[in-house]
Amino acid sequence: MLRRARSLPIQKPVTMAPASFQLIAALVLRETSIVYEPRKEYLVEARLHPLAAQAGCADIDAYIQLVATDALERRKAIDALTINETSWFRDNAPYQAFTDTMLPELVTQRAARRHLTIWSAACSSGQEAYSIAMLLDQHLPAGWTADILATDVSTAMLARVEAGRYSQVEMNRGLPATHLVKYFTRVGAEFEIVPTLRRMVRTRHLNLAERFPAVGQYDVVLLRNVLIYFDQPTKHGILRRMHQHVAPGGYLLLGSSETTLDLPPDLNAMWEREQIGRVQAHRPAGSIAAPRPASSSISAALTGARP
Amino acid sequence: MTQSPMDQSPTDQRPTGQSALIVDDSKAMRSILRRIVAGLGFETTEAGHGQEALDHLEAATAIGRVPDLCLIDWNMPVMDGYTLITEIRKRPEWRNVTLMMVTTESEQGQIVRALAAGAHEYVIKPFTPDAIAEKLELLGLVSKGVLA
Amino acid sequence: MTVTQTGPALADVQAITEQVWSSFLGDEEPLLQRFDAPSAFPAEQAWSAAVSVHGGWTGSITVELSVAVAQALTHLMLATDDEPIEDADIADAVGELVNMVGGNVKSLMPGPSALTLPVVAAGRAAHATDLTEVARFDAVWGGEPVRVSVHAPRA
Repeated sequence: MLRRARSLPIQKPVTMAPASFQLIAALVLRETSIVYEPRKEYLVEARLHPLAAQAGCADIDAYIQLVATDALERRKAIDALTINETSWFRDNAPYQAFTDTMLPELVTQRAARRHLTIWSAACSSGQEAYSIAMLLDQHLPAGWTADILATDVSTAMLARVEAGRYSQVEMNRGLPATHLVKYFTRVGAEFEIVPTLRRMVRTRHLNLAERFPAVGQYDVVLLRNVLIYFDQPTKHGILRRMHQHVAPGGYLLLGSSETTLDLPPDLNAMWEREQIGRVQAHRPAGSIAAPRPASSSISAALTGARP
Repeated sequence: MTQSPMDQSPTDQRPTGQSALIVDDSKAMRSILRRIVAGLGFETTEAGHGQEALDHLEAATAIGRVPDLCLIDWNMPVMDGYTLITEIRKRPEWRNVTLMMVTTESEQGQIVRALAAGAHEYVIKPFTPDAIAEKLELLGLVSKGVLA
Repeated sequence: MTVTQTGPALADVQAITEQVWSSFLGDEEPLLQRFDAPSAFPAEQAWSAAVSVHGGWTGSITVELSVAVAQALTHLMLATDDEPIEDADIADAVGELVNMVGGNVKSLMPGPSALTLPVVAAGRAAHATDLTEVARFDAVWGGEPVRVSVHAPRA
């Protein structure tokens, strides 16, 4: 056993072929900007080994070949190779846009109904859904109600959302301390969301790549940082299916670095793009009824070009 | 109390002209925080407890270089972090210094106390570098895009 | 997960230790739980550190590490690569480790309570006979032993 001060002894021997490592490292870099340097083969192998076994592959090389062609396995592999903690109020700007622009607009539009619906369409462990719940608690006018649908392809993630419990490492990520004390209580080593917010969120299993069940229409749909896991035809199919679930005048939000360039013309015509601060929102065509001072994309919406 | 040179690495942000005072009785923890905060463009100085921190703040004020940010541990000898915050908040000339506690104290009551005493933000140990950067972004001390 | 009045649940001690490890010591080499450790800490040369908690709950949290682990984590925390480190540096780093683990254990137990500053020694830990072990998490890191134990006064 080595006793050098810096490095620790014994790592398991690597069986993965160099070409396989290059392939998977390139994929992870392209999808997530995370760099896996050559000395980390053993880590990649350790993390992919359980997935390879589940997929029935003879070895890691065979599994990586599968990952190159199968979108679902690709997503699992990327999840396994990237840090899973997500942040509260991730990227901040969309939540600011929600509070400053989208919510006031929706409150005007839905004045008769006094109820808003939100869909977190790749909810993961639930930080997105509960972040929105916190904003609604703070900014929804008295007498209004809201409900949030949180869906994911992973039942393990849905269970996490239902439990509403987070480790303190997760609690450190982007959550203002004032919100921690207001909206969470300590349970053992974790923090649990308070019942008033917990009640706003319901979960449902849903695979975006397949036909959607009849989930109804939503004023705001959050489809953030998930389209990157799909190939272009699937991505377009999702945006097509999503259109009928965004209520007229509603909003669809993608991830900060995601764009919808190169949509086929008919799909492109289904959506308008509106720049809200640093955020680009998609709205069902016809939503933008009249120019607003904050909006600069009416002409862009008419021509389909990006602002 | 030591002046720390800025760490140099290709990914480090260029100096932003902002400075941070790191207050923790552990050299290892000060070292970790220094690397994180210097990597975000801050010039850093360190103190091992609350009284050292006050001494530093006085000296810095005298030459017109009040820090923009203080990272403060709770449990320290001589003067703890909670007391340091109450002392800092008594001084109008330090009104604009952002105070962020970085501590193992994680009971809700402790966090409430710290915020009531004037802490602007609170990070529970253990933390990742991203957590510090995200909190600083919330506080407006670090601009968006640094984390991408 | 029930928390007995005498001490924290083992699963919580494990979770806390793993979080401290992965936050500051990287996740390249995982901390792997070990179930067959002997009662005497299995390292010929070790570092140990302890903090005590007094108040709503009384007890102590102790970390024991082989010398290789102590040196490696000191290098990681100080970012000193292969530069020489002193005993004082190791004591400081190990002390901060037990401070973080102990501080989080404190917050699991009934409060309010206070945490002492860490006491660090080059060597295995020794515990007073009026204390009883209420939780013990054994692990290996790169093949080297790590132990976190919680003690409380005998009832």
